[in-house]
Amino acid sequence: MDAHAAKLLGAGLAIGLGVIGPGIGLGTMIGSALESIARQPELKGDIRTNMFIGIGIIEALALYAFVISLILLFVAK
Amino acid sequence: MKKRLPWIWVLVGLAAVVGLFLIPGGHSQTLQVAQEFEIKPIIKLPAIGPVDLSVTKPVIYLWLATAVLVAVAIVIARILKAQPGRVQALLELLYSLARDGIVRTTMTSGADTWFPFVGAAFFFILVSNILGLVPLPFGEHHQLSFYAATGNLNVTITLALFTFVFTHYAGIHKKGAIGYFKGWAIPSAPPVLRQLIFFMHIISEIFRLVSLSVRLFANMLAGHAILAVFFAMALVFQSYLIAGVLQVGSVALYLFEIFIAFIQAFIFAILSAVYIGGALEEEH
Repeated sequence: MDAHAAKLLGAGLAIGLGVIGPGIGLGTMIGSALESIARQPELKGDIRTNMFIGIGIIEALALYAFVISLILLFVAK
Repeated sequence: MKKRLPWIWVLVGLAAVVGLFLIPGGHSQTLQVAQEFEIKPIIKLPAIGPVDLSVTKPVIYLWLATAVLVAVAIVIARILKAQPGRVQALLELLYSLARDGIVRTTMTSGADTWFPFVGAAFFFILVSNILGLVPLPFGEHHQLSFYAATGNLNVTITLALFTFVFTHYAGIHKKGAIGYFKGWAIPSAPPVLRQLIFFMHIISEIFRLVSLSVRLFANMLAGHAILAVFFAMALVFQSYLIAGVLQVGSVALYLFEIFIAFIQAFIFAILSAVYIGGALEEEH
């Protein structure tokens, strides 16, 4: 395997493995947010706002992986 | 009133479609993604030592964001009314979101002292992000193109450094340098662990800086990259059917990006408020 192939493989693996964790996290968090909305529909607005803040923070983890794979593809020599 | 809303969405969608057609340079059939990261000087200026003062694309976008903010603030301040119109109502909503929703709920003390910084950061990032979704003629051949100043790591690190410096300034100002740094080592912890806790606290401070800047940067970059990829796929498949489907998809993504632009500004501001509030807090 030459260096270029290793770079491409690394970029793919970085984003592919990197989204597993945030995926599980988002699933857990949105699931429980929906559950609590179903339980207390009058708190819908508050729960939704906090859910989106949480989504933004968890999503950043996947984006770190995205940045790493971009660095591997375009910046790393 | 209720009938007009869908037309606004249609217009936004059309604007997105027109803008997306212009992303890959208009001329070339291939999208050179690596070139999108290069920053070329638009107005060449001499460098002072290692600092290059040339005016580049991000600099122009930062100026634009500042100009838009200042212009809106001045115009709105002139026509302030007790019975707010539509624009004033929107701005008042954003202002009270920044003051009550972001600063006053997260900071227990010193909320009104630090609201100017956090609020300014919120509005500046919001305007910068939204400007990134407006096609502007600053492409390489002066074609319309999308670019966000906050999609540049230098800009976001600078913004995060402001928060970093102000956090420690606030802490030292309130508790004195010795009292503040003592607070890092948690005086109630057993003496053996204090050095370790102090060391871990330094690392977590540095990682706050990294995560605050990279989160904003990566969100903006990924948003633009996804829009570009959606359009480039039409060039790859060379089929009108797929191109049509992709255009609809990219309009949906564009609307989603407007939402992301707002959320990211909100998250940056709320985390800044949390960090500064944490530095001001009494020992626990």
